[in-house]
Amino acid sequence: MVDSKFKQLLLALRAGKVTFAYPFEPRPSEPGFRGRVVVDTDKCTGCGGCADVCPTRCIRIVDVSPTYRIIRRYLERCIHCGRCEDVCRYGAVWLDLEYEIATTSKSDLFIEQHLFMGSCSRCGRCYVPPNPLDRLMVVGFRKDEEV
Amino acid sequence: MVTIEQSTEQINQAVAALQERLGEKVRAIEQPTPHRLYVTIDPDVVVQAADILFNDLRARYLISAGMDKRPLNGGFEVLHFFAFDRANVRCALVIPLSGDPPRIPSITPTVPAAGWAEREFRDLFGIIPEGHPDPRPLALPDGFPEGLYPLRKDFPYDYKPPLDHSKTFPFKEPPEGTTVVTVGPFFPVLEEPSQWRIFVDGEIVVGWDYRGFYNHRAIEKLGDSVLTYNQVVFLAERICGICGCVHSTSYCQAVEEAAGIEVPLRAKVIRTLILELERIHSHLLWLGLACHILGFDYAFMQSWRIREPVMWLAEYLTGSRKHFSINLVGGVRRDIKKEQHQRTLEVVGKIERETKELADTLLNDMPLIARLRGTGIFTPEEVRLTGAVGPTARGSGIAIDVRKDHPYAAYDLVEFDVVTQDGCDNLARTLVRVYEIFESVKIVRQCIKMLQELPEGDLMAELPEEIPPYRHGMHAVEAPRGEVFHYVFTGENNRPYRWRVRAPSYQNIQAVPVMFKPGTTIADVPITLGSVDPCFSCTERMEVIDIRSGETKVLTEQELYRLSREKTAELRKQLEGGA
Repeated sequence: MVDSKFKQLLLALRAGKVTFAYPFEPRPSEPGFRGRVVVDTDKCTGCGGCADVCPTRCIRIVDVSPTYRIIRRYLERCIHCGRCEDVCRYGAVWLDLEYEIATTSKSDLFIEQHLFMGSCSRCGRCYVPPNPLDRLMVVGFRKDEEV
Repeated sequence: MVTIEQSTEQINQAVAALQERLGEKVRAIEQPTPHRLYVTIDPDVVVQAADILFNDLRARYLISAGMDKRPLNGGFEVLHFFAFDRANVRCALVIPLSGDPPRIPSITPTVPAAGWAEREFRDLFGIIPEGHPDPRPLALPDGFPEGLYPLRKDFPYDYKPPLDHSKTFPFKEPPEGTTVVTVGPFFPVLEEPSQWRIFVDGEIVVGWDYRGFYNHRAIEKLGDSVLTYNQVVFLAERICGICGCVHSTSYCQAVEEAAGIEVPLRAKVIRTLILELERIHSHLLWLGLACHILGFDYAFMQSWRIREPVMWLAEYLTGSRKHFSINLVGGVRRDIKKEQHQRTLEVVGKIERETKELADTLLNDMPLIARLRGTGIFTPEEVRLTGAVGPTARGSGIAIDVRKDHPYAAYDLVEFDVVTQDGCDNLARTLVRVYEIFESVKIVRQCIKMLQELPEGDLMAELPEEIPPYRHGMHAVEAPRGEVFHYVFTGENNRPYRWRVRAPSYQNIQAVPVMFKPGTTIADVPITLGSVDPCFSCTERMEVIDIRSGETKVLTEQELYRLSREKTAELRKQLEGGA
């Protein structure tokens, strides 16, 4: 038994110090890490693909009118699975390497996005105009006052 | 390796036995693949059929599932699942039921392992198992309104009925002259609340009662009413915080089986690799916690130190240290690229070396071994009757391992041994877990070798436009704690019609009372509970009620640990004195 205690001591000594001084030293995450959700609102066309696949339904879509869509992301419910990044054809949403996203305010984790959409002349629902020229014709696109 | 011929023979034997003994009562036999058998029978012969499968043909009981099929054919359905482990066959007894409330003879007197499953479908579907030896509620909270059954299709997923708080759970009456030791149910620090009432005479355990399901979150309901096939994957992964990937893999495989999707080989190998990394970290975590309970914090610290690099490796490979989110129906989401192979090999190599060193010192530590040896005896026959799985069963010399018996993912392409121990006690179950770490390392190495040979990029199968509705799929995965079983009955609207999950602890916790053999003391209770690897939350707080004086005393986690540790210290003194 003394023998095994001696071995245990050796094992512990050989391991040495294994703890880090974090948060007093930075611990950057490695590429591929699924961290904070970032949305590039310029690239987002409002297609709603991310809302369709989101397992926690933290992306909600409201069509205020046939030409006006609001996308709300309640990221306090986000489980960082990265499905939105997978399905986004426009590269408008991705998960970056930042993991220090704990906050005392829910509004820090809330992204609201207002989009002017094309309106389908047959069904009347919002759709993403297929080309930039069509997007220029979208109602409200050149307006500067709040809708 | 099991061949198709053998399994066909087993199926023939089962079918012949059922048809001969039940005759006309067997309504239909379906065999969608050589490894699956669905036998539809009349409700009045279900006990006979279960007896044939369980006792005559020695099939292992898996789980039962209720189903509300009223929107489809106006009735209910119960499925009892059995497995023929040596022949790679899983068999389901399908019993259509009519009437409301539907009634079915209980199979629990014949198959004791079905106890909880039958109580659960009674609670959630209102299907009454007649003749059940323990007809108390299981899953529903105390005071849930009568006549409301949450998993029925007409119950909205977001409806929260008012509870009658005056009702309490009908606990078992303790035997005359015993003291009740209550462990649980609410723990502010750790997860998974459950309540264990242990009846003790002096210090000796003489009986027990269990009340769990305090944290039943209706995950199955969400799966069949709100989410879509690929969203359920991420919910399934979050069923367990330690072995999540096994649930998502098992669910994906069940859907893939129902839809007839063939997963690319590279995706299968990646699943295998990730599952083995999960097993390594889970077993090291368990080893640390078991030693912690016994008051041996040195091993707790060391095994968690050894474990940490696996978590970092998982984060490096999948993007998250625990919820890997790597599975989808049809394949995996991320490739393990060439430049990641070397680091994977280095990490598992280091873990193998360090675990070996640690195991070497621990297994020569006399007080530790003395605490484990001879406690929590669990005989092979008891394993069969309770349906225990995983290291709990393998510690009793029963070589059941889903990876070998029902190969899934790439397990038929890798070589490894099923670790068994004949001790039947806590020590045997500990040894199984320690040796399994080395087998897992072996598998990880072979997976990396296969990944090096396979072409990169082929990760997802071509999915059909729609997953065909109303088909069965059942699949299991060997989790660190035992077999995880998922059953999916596909439905319309891109979501399962019914999704049934059975975690290994579901059967293993039912097996704990039989491990309390005469002579077990309170100090042995934590490690015996621990030896089946449930979550240790149960030891957070405990209450002692002395029936003779009516006095109530609340013990904390620390005091329970103290009892356990004092016994270790006492043993150590005895051993030193003797030597």
